[in-house]
Amino acid sequence: MIKLLCVCGLGQGTSLILRMNVETVCRELGIQADVEHLDVSSAGGVQADYILTSNELAQSLAGHSAKIVIVNNYFDLNEIKTKLSEALQQ
Amino acid sequence: MNVIYWIATNVFGTPAILLGAIVLLGLLLQRKTTSQVISGTFKAVIGFLIINAGAGVIVGSLNVFEPMWKEVFGLESQSLGQFLGQEKFNTQYGSAVTLAMFIGFLINVMLARFTKIKYIYLTGHMMFWTSTVFAGVVIHTAGDVAFWKLVLFLSIVLGLYWTFQPALTQPIMRKITGNDNIALGHTSASVALLGGLLGKLFGNRENDSEKIKVPKGLEFLRDSNVITALSMGALFLIGAIVVSLKSTPGAQELVAKAGDQNFIIYSIVQSFTFAGGIAIVLMGVRMFIGELVPAFNGIATKIVPGARPALDCPVTYPYAPNAVILGFIGGFIGALIWLVVLGNTVSYIFVPTMIVLFFHGATAGVFGNATGGTRGALLGGFATATIVAWGQFIMVRYLISSTIPDTAMWAADSDMFIIGPIVAFLSKLLF
Repeated sequence: MIKLLCVCGLGQGTSLILRMNVETVCRELGIQADVEHLDVSSAGGVQADYILTSNELAQSLAGHSAKIVIVNNYFDLNEIKTKLSEALQQ
Repeated sequence: MNVIYWIATNVFGTPAILLGAIVLLGLLLQRKTTSQVISGTFKAVIGFLIINAGAGVIVGSLNVFEPMWKEVFGLESQSLGQFLGQEKFNTQYGSAVTLAMFIGFLINVMLARFTKIKYIYLTGHMMFWTSTVFAGVVIHTAGDVAFWKLVLFLSIVLGLYWTFQPALTQPIMRKITGNDNIALGHTSASVALLGGLLGKLFGNRENDSEKIKVPKGLEFLRDSNVITALSMGALFLIGAIVVSLKSTPGAQELVAKAGDQNFIIYSIVQSFTFAGGIAIVLMGVRMFIGELVPAFNGIATKIVPGARPALDCPVTYPYAPNAVILGFIGGFIGALIWLVVLGNTVSYIFVPTMIVLFFHGATAGVFGNATGGTRGALLGGFATATIVAWGQFIMVRYLISSTIPDTAMWAADSDMFIIGPIVAFLSKLLF
């Protein structure tokens, strides 16, 4: 089971919406994943396979061991589906 | 009878347990696996209890910040006075708050189902803070109100607010996002609308903020821990230096608090402790809302076809990132000005929480830019600081002083400050 981390600035509302959308996409694509949501500050100390976040925050997470997947619109299920599928195929 | 009393005390009367029960119900309705139901419920309950731990830390450092700045301004030692505090308030009224959140949410869903206003408010952490602050206002105004009266009153106020607020901001949201798919569900709505109004009256739509270049090196300011520690650190430092140089009895008493340690060092540590306390509370809220909101979302999507989500304010930021910075700058400058004015006129020490000033100033900036370009964004930010500063003063000193002024000082914000007096007025009438 892969670990996905959804990251936003404060870790309260936006990353949670992303997490709910990512969980929906994972269900549709049949991916078994453990999805969590977090603020950019704490994300540094958490282990994950993939981190989904915005372009600006991705820069703060550059050194992280996880693969960064950039999502521009956290509410666009199609974008999430495309970006996640691409990342998993690599 | 004993069973009912037992349930009333130990389930409804124990907020952590009641919250656990609601989340458990939500998880079962979503048909999650057993392990997910157990871990989800436990995480929600633990998260809720973590909030109490964090609140204690915050109060500790506010108890240094407040007297220190009173000394700086040379004010009478009119401390916060007797108040319950977030921890005790949560223990006594947490159940009412949690239940009001849930029933308020159901009212939102029902209104969305049966009227043309299809917005479902999904910003869980603001639902929590708004419910808590309003409860604090009611209890302060009307004393110990009966459990079910409190729950019913709060649920109706919240249900109406959560349904109608997104509708009020939607016209400008459509301008900003270019579509009608998402709405704003956040307590910055009032200052956002104010920013929009000021932009329309005094701004220039042609000067879109996205056309100018804003320094990129400021990205680290997006980290709330950093910006809180930085701003509070600066304020504690300035205050500590001024106090160290004074020789009034009040100043000496404060310096004595540090014991052997240098007072300035002590104060800097206090400012970081404040940031730490906020980080702890936010972690707790994240854990418990992380279980509650998906459950709410699951319920809403089943009952309301065509529902549109009302979401957290950062939804708007990607559409005008420069306006975000301008709004924040306007808010920050305004906050510093009002800090000095409030201290010198009404003897109130304003706590300029960067979290509120950033998120609300930024949203007001985006709305102000949509109607009035760069000038609109800056005016929106300044208006935000004005509402937040004066709102905090009125709420902490008059509307919530005996219950949770400690929470109101850093977590209460724009819409709560505007609707708070209405809640107080209605409480006086009804209870």
